[in-house]
Amino acid sequence: MADLYPSIAQCAIVATAFKVLLFPAYKSTDFEVHRNWLAITNSLPIQEWYFEKTSEWTLDYPPFFAYFEWFLSQFAKAMDPAMLRVYNLEYESWQTVYFQRASVIATELVLVYALHLFVQSAPPAFKRPSHAAALSILLSPGLLIIDHIHFQYNGFMYGLLILSLVLARDKSARLASGLLFAALLCFKHIYLYLAPAYFVYLLRAYCLGHKSIFQVRFGNAVKLGTGIIAIFGAAFGPFAFWGQIPQLLSRLFPFSRGLCHAYWAPNIWAIYSFTDRLLIFIAPRLNLPVNEEALTSVTRGLVGDTSFAVLPEVTARTTFALTLLFQIIPLLKLFFDPTWETFIGSVTLCGYASFLFGWHVHEKAILLVIIPFSLIALKDRRYLGAFRPLAVAGHVSLFPLLFTAAEFPIKTVYTIFWLVGFLLAFDRLAPASNKPRVFLLDRFSTLYIAVSIPLIVYCSLLHGVIWGSRLEFLPLMFMSSYSAVGVVGSWVGFLVVFFTS
Amino acid sequence: MAGPSPHKPRRKVKKTSNGSEVSSVAPATASRTGSSRPAYPLAAFLWPARSSVSQWEILPMILMAVGLFRWAAGLWGYSGFQNPPMHGDYEAQRHWMEITTQLPISQWYFHDLEWWGLDYPPLTAYHSWVLGKVGGFIDPSWFALLTSRGLEDPILKVFMRATVIVSEYLVYIPAAVIFVRRLTKLQGISSWNASIALTAILMQPGTILIDHVHFQYNTVMLGLVLASMSSVLAGRFMWSCIFFVLALGFKQMALYYAPAMFAYLLGVCLFPRINIPRFLGIAVVTVAAFALLLLPLVLGALYDAHRGIDARPDLHGRFAPLPIFSEYSYLINFKAWYYPIVQQLAQMIHRVFPFARGLFEDKVANFWCALNVVIKLRKYPSELLQRASLLATLVAITPPCFVIFVKPRKELLPVALSATAWAFFLFSFQVHEKSVLLPLMPMTVLLAGKHGLSKNVRAWVGFANLLGVWTMFPLLERVDLRIPYIILSLLWAYLLGLPPTALAVYSQDGQPTWVGFATTTIHSIFYLAMAAWHVAEGFLSPPQSKPDLWVVINVGIGAVGFGICYLWCLWSLVMESGIVDISKAERKKVKAQGVSIGRDISN
Repeated sequence: MADLYPSIAQCAIVATAFKVLLFPAYKSTDFEVHRNWLAITNSLPIQEWYFEKTSEWTLDYPPFFAYFEWFLSQFAKAMDPAMLRVYNLEYESWQTVYFQRASVIATELVLVYALHLFVQSAPPAFKRPSHAAALSILLSPGLLIIDHIHFQYNGFMYGLLILSLVLARDKSARLASGLLFAALLCFKHIYLYLAPAYFVYLLRAYCLGHKSIFQVRFGNAVKLGTGIIAIFGAAFGPFAFWGQIPQLLSRLFPFSRGLCHAYWAPNIWAIYSFTDRLLIFIAPRLNLPVNEEALTSVTRGLVGDTSFAVLPEVTARTTFALTLLFQIIPLLKLFFDPTWETFIGSVTLCGYASFLFGWHVHEKAILLVIIPFSLIALKDRRYLGAFRPLAVAGHVSLFPLLFTAAEFPIKTVYTIFWLVGFLLAFDRLAPASNKPRVFLLDRFSTLYIAVSIPLIVYCSLLHGVIWGSRLEFLPLMFMSSYSAVGVVGSWVGFLVVFFTS
Repeated sequence: MAGPSPHKPRRKVKKTSNGSEVSSVAPATASRTGSSRPAYPLAAFLWPARSSVSQWEILPMILMAVGLFRWAAGLWGYSGFQNPPMHGDYEAQRHWMEITTQLPISQWYFHDLEWWGLDYPPLTAYHSWVLGKVGGFIDPSWFALLTSRGLEDPILKVFMRATVIVSEYLVYIPAAVIFVRRLTKLQGISSWNASIALTAILMQPGTILIDHVHFQYNTVMLGLVLASMSSVLAGRFMWSCIFFVLALGFKQMALYYAPAMFAYLLGVCLFPRINIPRFLGIAVVTVAAFALLLLPLVLGALYDAHRGIDARPDLHGRFAPLPIFSEYSYLINFKAWYYPIVQQLAQMIHRVFPFARGLFEDKVANFWCALNVVIKLRKYPSELLQRASLLATLVAITPPCFVIFVKPRKELLPVALSATAWAFFLFSFQVHEKSVLLPLMPMTVLLAGKHGLSKNVRAWVGFANLLGVWTMFPLLERVDLRIPYIILSLLWAYLLGLPPTALAVYSQDGQPTWVGFATTTIHSIFYLAMAAWHVAEGFLSPPQSKPDLWVVINVGIGAVGFGICYLWCLWSLVMESGIVDISKAERKKVKAQGVSIGRDISN
């Protein structure tokens, strides 16, 4: 049974070699964001962390992440103290680049460990599929593009998430799982989107009785409650003591932003905007009113002022209502069937709901869906059928993050490499389902994957040749609408699989 | 991902892994101990492909993976980056694209020789012309005459990197794929082992570091030589000649291989029986290929003369003696119609073969440079040194050429080419440290041969390659390429289970042999010396009186190590050819090795 090759460690070593070679690659403003946070946490007293605004990239992650930056800055001091000065904007000596890039690789070890644990804890019959799924996450093009080129610490964050999800499998470690998730929320609040699934699962499987929901296990409830309070106290306590909570919350939840992010994340609102664009041309014939002011703004998809020409405006309240609604539906099933697989499925569906219907969703958030889904994608062929379009769409939608010529071959070839390798391997490893396949879903996914090739060729090469720099928004709109179709399709497919299994 | 699955994969490996030599005992042990675990990480990475995965699935994956490493390595700086006034190899290549696209063909070999004048054979010039045309279509300012010198546009860098990759994927990589396939079929090696060997060959750190990081187009020349070797495997000798002429026409360094290639081709015409038609075919095709290679240059010279374009506008119509055979120049009428051709070819030969330069230019790990540490060679007349160098080279190339001439068997060709190239590298003059890629290429393809992935061959091929990149470290360090050097060499060592990442290649299974023991001892000494050198170079500054100390030590160790590699190639060639009757004891040893190899390969 020890026959799982290449091992996680071997893949991690080779992937690390590749990531080190990427040190001089393009890096987004997120690199400067994190450098600034290193500087803030290192050089300022803790009371000023959430008030400092010399740089426009103010600290807007929860306190644990700030503590984490403070911890990193202790090592940064030895590399190049100049990067720790708040006024040293845009500072990027080679020491700074090497240090920050290396810190991403080093903290990703959490992910490696979590994946190792995931394979260890899998039942014997699922060892091989689990191993393949673990490698697919470790080598994920999403993490490569976002963390190692664009720059962020998602490997570390998702490592904690997977660790928490894996611990939830073991009855005796559910408390640890819940507390770890609470800590994760204090690192990065985007995981709040997954919190409903955790809440229901821990309530049902940890705080209530196995047989009857009316038999409350008070001991467990108290342990979990005090634990969570202690963790949140450690994170937010000091700031509450100084009365800075309103300031902190205004940094964490900047509601002034618009519905769609600069590049449209491939969700319902991208399809909505695309439809709106089409309606501009059709509306006069249908005698629909057109909002003239909106004509100029949506084309550029700029932050903050997305408005629609024909279709009704979407308010933040609507998006939250929709998100919550589509989160509650799977949670009902989880409440009555609190198994680990249903739990992971619910986490995935919570991720889907928030990604598809959320307010100001960033395309990077697709990992919130892909990574939990990967853990159960190989359960049987029906799961895989729903996963496939997501894998294509989710990763293709990340391409606009990197727009420089030098990184183009890396993002495309690496993604194709990953898709070919893992989709072929998954195809071999996923066992047949005992239920009939979902209506036409696999046909849909084959067609869908085939369309991606001409689309990428058009958007990255032909468009520039035909149109030059005109109609710049067109490739982006095509890409996000295409990806949105894939994500929505896989969501519908997975909902069917989830409720019929 | 693989392993005992519900449907157990068929183990093709056992049957074919090791040709005929594995005794029936070996597979039994192999299946029990060996094949349950891959012996080194590269085998582990291809482990899932062990069963019935088709070549058409695994090959694109390998090509994508090696391409990614090449491109990522290319993100680093190139030779001469931000280093005026002369910049480096990158500027030389860019400049050739500039002059070939902007000047009439007759001026290519004459234009401003002080600024990276063209000094490669015509095929390089044509190659530059094609790339320059394509690049000029994207952005004309990249190759504008004179004004583009030393240009450091980041998009230009992307274009230049892309040209190296595209050239390699059009020449070297298809040649390697076909070569590996033919050789493994010939030797009865499983396609799974062939995939491992192919990946190992394509991840060779030296070629990636020199071509894709430091910047050059060596893989085009190496690829043409590999295509020539591959044609030999297929028995198509005329094609082999064409490819070899093209390799020579791309980079004169391919001459390192020429004696062995010539000896082999002559050998197949004479043994086992004299084959006159084959000989004539080879001769005619070779001459024709040369003629075709020079034709654009010759026609260009005539056409330009016809149009009244002077090859040397700087002379204002006056006559200058030919650069070579100057004392006979008066015999030629410079008004004759054929004069432009003579002038052009003489200049090309003069540029391509700089006889006038010294024995060695920079510090290079060959015999002369190492000897120079002990005896100051500068005090001897250069005439004498050139003779000595010629004689030493002849002495060193004679044994491998003789063996391959007498025993012209195609599977012996790689090791014969390697031995000859080592001889040239060690003893000929005007050797550059990058030329170590020449002996390394045929030596590395031994991984695809019989016992190619056995511990012994892996240990030696790995040793030569790691020593090779190590001697290029001073060159790479000058342009701040320490990190790609460390990553790519360690990665390759790791994948093949070599020191410093693993020592398993030196554990002898079965009966220990003297050969194995000697290998271990020699390699240990060198690896320790290399590691110690890196520590010293990294943390200690050399004494004031000897600022070059570290480089000199590097050269000394490298020269001795390469000498050992030469001897190993020669020894393998002699042993494999069966030219010497192996004594009984030796045969026993070889057999013992064979058994251990058997276990190894079936992993």
